[in-house]
Amino acid sequence: MSVNLNDPKLTAYALGELDGLELREMEELVNKSEEARKYVQEVRQTAEMLQSELKSEPQLSLDDARRAKVIGRADRSSWSLWLKPAIGFAVAAVAMFVVVLPRVQQKVSDEAEGLTAPISMSAPEASKTDPEANKTSPETNKSANETDPAATQVPAQVQGDKIAARAAPVKTLADQTPAAAADAAAYSGGGEISESMAEAEMAAPMEAQPLAAHSARKEKVGKGGSGTTPYGSSGFAGVGRGRIGGMEAKKSLAPGSPGLYKPTPADESDKNFNTDSFSHIQESDFLRVSDQPLSTFSIDVDTASYSILRRFLNAGTLPPPDAVRIEELVNYFPYDYAAPTDGKPFSVRVDQAIAPWNKSHSIVRVGLKGKDIDLRKKPKSNLVFLIDVSGSMNEEDKLPLLKTSLRQLIDKLDDNDRVAMVVYAGSSGLVLPSTSNKTEILAALEKLESGGSTNGGEGIELAYKTAAANFIEGGTNRVILATDGDFNVGTTSEGDLVRMIEEKAKSKIFLSVLGFGSGNLKDSTMEKLANKGNGNYAYIDTAQEAKKALVENLGGTLITIAKDVKIQVEFNPKFVAGYRLIGYENRTLAKEDFNNDAKDAGEIGAGHTVTALYEIIPAGGDLPTPRVDALKYQQPKKFEKATPEAEVNDSKELLTVKLRYKEPTGDKSTLIEVPVTAQRELRPAKGDLAFASSVAMFGMLLRDSNYKAEATLDKVQAFAKEGTTGKFRNDPYRKEFLELVKKAKDLKGK
Amino acid sequence: MNKADWVKVAMTRFEGRLLRYTSRFVSDDQAREIVQEAFLRLWQQDPKDVDSFLAEWLFRVCRNQAVDIQRKEKRLNRVDGHEELENVKSESRNADSEIESREQNSSLLKFVGDLPLPQQEVLRLKFQEDLSYKQISAITGHSVSHVGVLIHTAVSSLRRKLEVKL
Repeated sequence: MSVNLNDPKLTAYALGELDGLELREMEELVNKSEEARKYVQEVRQTAEMLQSELKSEPQLSLDDARRAKVIGRADRSSWSLWLKPAIGFAVAAVAMFVVVLPRVQQKVSDEAEGLTAPISMSAPEASKTDPEANKTSPETNKSANETDPAATQVPAQVQGDKIAARAAPVKTLADQTPAAAADAAAYSGGGEISESMAEAEMAAPMEAQPLAAHSARKEKVGKGGSGTTPYGSSGFAGVGRGRIGGMEAKKSLAPGSPGLYKPTPADESDKNFNTDSFSHIQESDFLRVSDQPLSTFSIDVDTASYSILRRFLNAGTLPPPDAVRIEELVNYFPYDYAAPTDGKPFSVRVDQAIAPWNKSHSIVRVGLKGKDIDLRKKPKSNLVFLIDVSGSMNEEDKLPLLKTSLRQLIDKLDDNDRVAMVVYAGSSGLVLPSTSNKTEILAALEKLESGGSTNGGEGIELAYKTAAANFIEGGTNRVILATDGDFNVGTTSEGDLVRMIEEKAKSKIFLSVLGFGSGNLKDSTMEKLANKGNGNYAYIDTAQEAKKALVENLGGTLITIAKDVKIQVEFNPKFVAGYRLIGYENRTLAKEDFNNDAKDAGEIGAGHTVTALYEIIPAGGDLPTPRVDALKYQQPKKFEKATPEAEVNDSKELLTVKLRYKEPTGDKSTLIEVPVTAQRELRPAKGDLAFASSVAMFGMLLRDSNYKAEATLDKVQAFAKEGTTGKFRNDPYRKEFLELVKKAKDLKGK
Repeated sequence: MNKADWVKVAMTRFEGRLLRYTSRFVSDDQAREIVQEAFLRLWQQDPKDVDSFLAEWLFRVCRNQAVDIQRKEKRLNRVDGHEELENVKSESRNADSEIESREQNSSLLKFVGDLPLPQQEVLRLKFQEDLSYKQISAITGHSVSHVGVLIHTAVSSLRRKLEVKL
């Protein structure tokens, strides 16, 4: 069959612009023709590049005088608190007001426009050709009002079109859209509005903190279902460009907004405003080998903290210390570990060097590398996308980015893979029953719209149920949860959710958590869910990050090669006085947990690398931790101050790394032991290890670690540069790290 | 919500985007004037009437004013004679625009900059502003299918250029 690829309709299809007959026509074509599929994919790739490039073009902003004129406020001083030109800072321009209106947003209004299509399509043309275009208004207005109820249920309509019709027990989004209520509230001022105004006031003095302001961009702008043609009054250029408008505006404004947008003194209200939530991290201290020779922890392949940190730095502010999980920063980067050769699921490598931030200490790196799996031979997968479509997802960096991300993932799937889609908001529903038809999957994805509040619990329940119903024995069974983590409706306290996930994880269904957006990011909840749900957690802030997390690490995301991976390190007091595990604070286990197979731990995916760093005080060195008094009723322990004289073992080993892991579907663990010989003389960190320690050092500085010693950002830079050599010379991630360090330096310098 | 808040919210959402769009037609300062004007006009609207088309309404108002200014300037400059002057931004203005200077940094943006202006415009509305074909049609006055053709043509030629580059 010959296919005309030079068909604008095919491009429109790729961009999700078609509906009705044309959509079906193109779907058929794409189903039949490999060529067309390839074309569609290429167009989408180009579209993604265009989106990310074009969106990075700066936005200008109005000057204060002009803005004041619009708002009609003579009081410039109050404006200057929060109105500041944000040239070059795309986000800031949109971020300065934070008004949470009752519901929905531009996306939905886009759809509303779709429903009232005849108006929007005919009106502009009419107004262009017909000077009396306004006359069409009453009529179109009427028809718009008539379609109003439909318009307020946009998602249902849109979904209903194709998907809902197919899904048997569909509970569409319509249920979640509090249509009437929202409309009623939209312009009369409901309770939610006063609340949002409070937020807006708090947001006011925040321009000094672009990120916080950015975070605050929680615009769920109200949408009226009704609408006349918007063009009637704008009509044609130059007609009534108006002073009159300006004057009227002023008049109506002066008494119009009593007390709103009052300047608020820049007190701690701005600190409270950002509702990103990060759990407090208590840094691990040095432990005395004589007291605690064993260090036990669960591996962690999450990388979210790095993307979050990047987001803060790119927005021109330092991240809060609790957002910095050093192990996630270190693990964000792939390292050059050899793949396993002995049939084991992963290799273990240990190396050491002088600690860059403290010359009298050394660092030991424990590196794991999961075996690579040829993706062409990957097991069949059964994926359930669980997608948060609550109102809070309605921001450019959330739902639209989520779609881009999942599209990239879907493109990598093949006919053996099945995808189902569950959405949740005020209520939840299956919007796509499990299918391997990519076109259907993509169409369902395109049609997602946000609206409503979040009931994560129900959604999770349904997603796991769907995954279980389509369970593939020996395959990949995974729920992929995409959310900003704001579970706020129903019975779902964080504790309940975590328990629920923990329960579900026993069903051999794995979980991936993709975090989106900022300002309301429940980082702590998501990390916990991934942790308990046999899963991983990535934070997606850009299309590139989505590519890294979902495409480059596809194997890691989809194929778990070992689960409940625990590490226990035994230090030899002959060489080590004290040690400190860098990061992994919320992953530490009791030493007894290591051999307890009932105790859950982290998973490792195909091709994943996992890195853990220890800072070591060599034998003879002093620990910063205060000494406790000698015990009165027991013999003081041996090796108190380990010297060769006190030595009973003549081992040349510095330490032994022990690993336990289970096969993905196994219940019994396997043990790997790797003894590490002590080195006579340590050298400064080079290459890969230099880079890893540079990242750790960066994290320590951002967390203001007690043990940062002589760490400086200059050193971070120097070591990172040292590590950006060899095969990593052109590694974009390492280069980006260098950029971020530079940004942090600039910020600290201020 | 009262009207003041409505306008403020609209400003929050659209100020930067409208300026970015409008400054492609006219100088940055003229763009500010136009966008201010658009928001002032928004004051005269009933939110109920406009809100569901807010994006299209604002972009369209800005576009109309920008095109109007272009026409007037062309008349003053006596370079009249061409009927379709839309979208032309004179070279002298390009130089000092805060936006244009970035284009050198990205080959893709450079390619975009080489496209015919009507294609650039719809491309930006589509990929920069995330507007649908229908919305773009409403803003520019092109029919939906013409928008489709412009985007298709633009995307196709960008793909070709990118391929050559790779």
